[in-house]
Amino acid sequence: MAQFDLTRINCQYLDRHLTFPLLEFLCGKEIYNQQELLEYILETVNKTNMIDYTMDTRKRLNLSQEMPEELVQRKAEVLATLKQLQNEVAPIMKATDILKNGESMKDSKTFVNALQKDYNFKVEHLESAYKLAKYLYECGNYQESTSYLYFCLIVMSPNDKNYLNVLWGKLAAEILTLNWNTALEDLTRLRDYIDSANFSTIQALQQRTWLIHWSVLVFFNHPKGRDLIIEMFLYKPLYLNAIQTMCPHIMRYLATAVVINRTRRNALKDLIKVIQQESYTYRDPITEFLECLYVNFDFEGARLKLHECQTVILNDFFIVACLNEFVEDARLMIFETFCRIHQCITISMLADKLNMKPNEAECWIVNLIRNARLNAKIDSKLGHVVMGTQPLSPYQQLVEKIDSLSMRSEHLAGLIERKSKQKNQESIDSWKYY
Amino acid sequence: MSRFFANGSDSESESSEEEVQASNFNKATNFQFSDDEEEVKRVVRSTKEKRYENLTSIIKTIRNHKKIKDIPNTLSSFEDLTRAYTKALPVISKEENGITPRFYIRCLAELEDFINEVWEDREGRKNLSKNNAKSLGTLRQKVRKYIKDFEEDLARFREAPDQESDVEEGEGEAHESDADRAGADSDDGVGAGAGKLAELPKAAKSVTTKAVADDDDSDDSIDWDSDTESETESSEDENLYQNMRERFLKRTTEKEDKDDDKRKDKRKEQKHKVRKRAEDDEDGEWETVVKGNVVEKPKMFEKDAEIDIPLVLAKLIEIMSARGKKRTDRRLQIDLLFELRDIAEQHDLGTPISVKIHFNIISAIFDYNQKISEPMKLEHWALLLEVMQSMMKLLLANPDIIMNESVAEEHEEYVTAPYYIRGCPLAAVERLDDEFTKLLKECDPHSNDYVSRLKDEINVVKTIELVVQYFERCGNNNERCRIYLRKIEHLYYKFDPEVLKRKRGELPATGSAPSSVEVMDKLCKFIYAKDDTDRIRTRAILAHIYHHAMHDNWFQARDLVLMSHLQDNIDAADPSTRILYNRMMANLGLCAFRQENIKDAHHCLVDLMVTGKPKELLAQGLLPQRQHERSAEQEKIEKQRQMPFHMHINLELLECVYLVSAMLLEIPYIAAHEFDARRRMISKTFYQQLRSSERQSLVGPPESMREHVVAAAKAMRCGNWQACANFIVNKKMNTKVWDLFYESERVREMLVKFIKEESLRTYLFTYSNVYTSISIPSLAQMYELPLPKVHSIISKMIINEELMASLDDPSETVVMHRSEPSRLQALAMQFVDKVTNLVDVNEKVFDMKQGNFFQRGNMGNRDRGYNRNQNNQGGNWGGQRRDNRNQRNRNQRGHHKQQQQQQQQQVQTIEEE
Repeated sequence: MAQFDLTRINCQYLDRHLTFPLLEFLCGKEIYNQQELLEYILETVNKTNMIDYTMDTRKRLNLSQEMPEELVQRKAEVLATLKQLQNEVAPIMKATDILKNGESMKDSKTFVNALQKDYNFKVEHLESAYKLAKYLYECGNYQESTSYLYFCLIVMSPNDKNYLNVLWGKLAAEILTLNWNTALEDLTRLRDYIDSANFSTIQALQQRTWLIHWSVLVFFNHPKGRDLIIEMFLYKPLYLNAIQTMCPHIMRYLATAVVINRTRRNALKDLIKVIQQESYTYRDPITEFLECLYVNFDFEGARLKLHECQTVILNDFFIVACLNEFVEDARLMIFETFCRIHQCITISMLADKLNMKPNEAECWIVNLIRNARLNAKIDSKLGHVVMGTQPLSPYQQLVEKIDSLSMRSEHLAGLIERKSKQKNQESIDSWKYY
Repeated sequence: MSRFFANGSDSESESSEEEVQASNFNKATNFQFSDDEEEVKRVVRSTKEKRYENLTSIIKTIRNHKKIKDIPNTLSSFEDLTRAYTKALPVISKEENGITPRFYIRCLAELEDFINEVWEDREGRKNLSKNNAKSLGTLRQKVRKYIKDFEEDLARFREAPDQESDVEEGEGEAHESDADRAGADSDDGVGAGAGKLAELPKAAKSVTTKAVADDDDSDDSIDWDSDTESETESSEDENLYQNMRERFLKRTTEKEDKDDDKRKDKRKEQKHKVRKRAEDDEDGEWETVVKGNVVEKPKMFEKDAEIDIPLVLAKLIEIMSARGKKRTDRRLQIDLLFELRDIAEQHDLGTPISVKIHFNIISAIFDYNQKISEPMKLEHWALLLEVMQSMMKLLLANPDIIMNESVAEEHEEYVTAPYYIRGCPLAAVERLDDEFTKLLKECDPHSNDYVSRLKDEINVVKTIELVVQYFERCGNNNERCRIYLRKIEHLYYKFDPEVLKRKRGELPATGSAPSSVEVMDKLCKFIYAKDDTDRIRTRAILAHIYHHAMHDNWFQARDLVLMSHLQDNIDAADPSTRILYNRMMANLGLCAFRQENIKDAHHCLVDLMVTGKPKELLAQGLLPQRQHERSAEQEKIEKQRQMPFHMHINLELLECVYLVSAMLLEIPYIAAHEFDARRRMISKTFYQQLRSSERQSLVGPPESMREHVVAAAKAMRCGNWQACANFIVNKKMNTKVWDLFYESERVREMLVKFIKEESLRTYLFTYSNVYTSISIPSLAQMYELPLPKVHSIISKMIINEELMASLDDPSETVVMHRSEPSRLQALAMQFVDKVTNLVDVNEKVFDMKQGNFFQRGNMGNRDRGYNRNQNNQGGNWGGQRRDNRNQRNRNQRGHHKQQQQQQQQQVQTIEEE
């Protein structure tokens, strides 16, 4: 299964703290050697200030129970630094608390003014608040970190050199505290900032690539994310380009999002174009499934791929939650396409194609028909599903055509009339001056 | 009268010297003289003279060839010489009592020396071109064999080879060699005249008369010479230099160019010194001879002068300062420089000086050719290459020498390391390469000449490689980009089969030598990153794409095209870049075709083919223009742009690929839209071909490639894939086109597969109205396609609403759904189409009047494209479509655009029906 595992690639584009959930997830999957994974986690954790987590990992690795001297020392150091930073920021935070309830909280400008006027606020304070937030984040105290970051965002001007970092930090912290709503807000803010700031092309590409990876986490967890991911990845050319050039593996998540989004079926066509275009750089069971179904109409192939898809999704941290939905929707897709093409299908064949038992399949179809999503009848004697097709009558076609014509002519006539009126008006106006 | 001729005779001997420049110079005045002159000579000459003259002239050419190490020509001249000698043998035996003439022996001796010298110089020999090396071997053998007959004479000659030095002192017979006799003497005369002139400058006429008077003497000497022929130890070498030199002088006297007098005076001073050195001058007459003879070698420096760096530099500057002046003898300059180099090397003045002189030789050779549009002479070019290579080797071997354009003249440093030299090997190598292309273009591409010329390409590439190495060591980015581009331009059009083998895994992916694609990648990426002039980058991208396309890296090539956005601004580029773009597109089309992307292939090639003059667009030849003649100027410019033959893309292949892909797209399309009033042509060129064949009253069996494609298209229209495939893939077509592909077998298989599929589609479109149902297995059998493939093709057609049918799974049949419209309905439908057209036109006219036609027009196009997509989507996904339709009925008064979209959808449905 390791061949379709994207964790390694994804982690390149994620923050160190964001990778822990992924790695922990992998630990439970038995794709890789447990021991190696844990060692790797330990190594990564060591680069942060999360001492407790380090200890925990060591325990899991069955290393000595004793806390190494060095770690103890570091813990003390970390606490000391934290203390110091907090002291620096404390007065300003107090002030903020007081101000929070007052009038001046309404917009950032008045807030900053009030701070400056009443509490002797200086730029250094902001700097230390930023540092503290970062330090807290590194210690794994995300919740607190967000509040400081929030403060920074309000007070900081967008031209500040740390502004971008603050935005990224906020997003990461929100993701890690599972605040999907605020995470989404931060995501949009960050995206707007990246799009409007004038980076060099390479930098912008890099920023977008990171943003794309981080946003996948948000999108698959936020209820509105499924529309937004399509909107952002597929219909924003800048991001589509970034995916195509830097990280074609994101196609997996995009494809999954499109499959599980029943209301956005028309995005499929565009998606398939992109998949085909990139098929030489990236392919996995999910994209291949779509290719089989909508390019080659190879239902047998689609069935096999669907089977593979399940294992892939099961092992992918980002989309594991969508497994059932995906299977259901993929089945529906196969079935719909089938119905589009066929006039008469044997149920046994259908069941085979959908990875279901014949009884189950019949039941499933009956449900579909009852929900009026399908215009069909079951011939239970022969075991057939017969589609109720209704060819378009020429008369109907004619009516539709003519209808639009009259509309257009009217529109045109109206335009001309307006134009001529305008002209007359103009000529009259021009006379007035004389 | 005789005086007059005598004068003519000297100019005649000049023109016989193959001195282009000189003969050009006097051409106009000389022709009639030399004509008359021949008559005179005919009377005077004896057989012996004639034979001797023949011999000496050949000897002279041998010398010339030797000097530039043009061994093949030396060889042929040597053969001429032996032949001439056998002819002259009876005369010799009669007149000279069988003693071989001295000058002949001497020539042989020199030739032998020369060969030995070249042969011994292993290093140099290795660097000889293949042609040269081969000739060298032959020549050596032949000469060895031949001189066996003259062993005695040779031995005697070698004992006393230095007789010519005596000649200087006393023997007036030095200049008796027949060929040069007249010329040399008269030159001497003029030299004397010039000497007198220096003493008392006179008007032009008097000088000329004097010169003529001296020529009189020379006439006398002819008679006298023929008596004393036995002493033929003329110093040919000396005469050669002397002639050149004297001619130079004489011309100036004749022309009476006062400005040049100064320079002449300088020379004279030099000569005066020389004269002093000559110990016993007997009389004025001889003195001039001595002058002429001595000038040759020590003319650079005084004999006792201590040759050191500043002196050589001063000399170099002196020589180079004559550069570019009207009357400078450019050839002489080259010779002088070579000599200077030899002197510098003899005196061990260090490599920096040597490099500097090399560089000046290069520029002097470039100067030799004055017209830029014409190629330089082959031997000059060969010389140039040689000098260039040796210079680059010197530069590479001595990392402490820095040669750069940016070094100012006064900062040049020759004595202590690091050495600084002003000069630009980059420009030199670029020019060298350009000249090479010009040479190639000059000769007939179908001759052996071209092939032998092309062999030098390897040497050019080697030279460029040397320069690349040099600049990789010490060059700024810009220079590296430029030299990389040169390398790329020699690389991009060459096919490397290893790349494909590696891709298929036949060879290990990481072999010892990097494949050409990898090299290309490296070079181009450097340029992308470092280049700041747009042109180099554009050309690098184009070449990169070309190279990828050539090696079937379709996706990489395509992505590069798409990402570079070249299509948008290529029109603003210079012609040669546009040509490269066209070539790239042509190759990309071929690549797409090989990689089974018929649509893309057509798309790439359509722009080239629709104009009907791909030949011009690819710069592979000029087409005669019907409307207006090109001016000579324009023709010259266009000729300069042409590609050399070995880089051409086969036009027939290109056209065939285009037509076949057009056929594969167009025929099913025609079948599907047979009754559609608004049908658009996919390929105009293909239509033309079809129509012209339809116009013929009698269609014979196909002969040309086009006729084959047209015949195949006709077969395909009836769904007859077998016939179609036979027309496209047969022996004739194989030899004409398909075998030109690298993996022709694969391409042919791919073609047959596509023909089957498209024929099946055409068949379904054309004949579906006569069936209510068709069995899929029988279709598969008919078209020899696997069942799933047929199934997939039909499914696709149904989904795209091209075919109104559906599959019946239990019986494995396609059931047709079409309800044939009645006559009235059909007419009404057509009427509606026409009215729609009218409304369209009205809208367009209105937009145009509004003044924002272009904007709207574009928008309209985009909308249409968008709608088409929408249309397919709407059609594609099952239940949704039905929903749409219901919705449509319900709220028919929707938005205008939506209406339009619906209407288009309707049009399509009708088209399909």
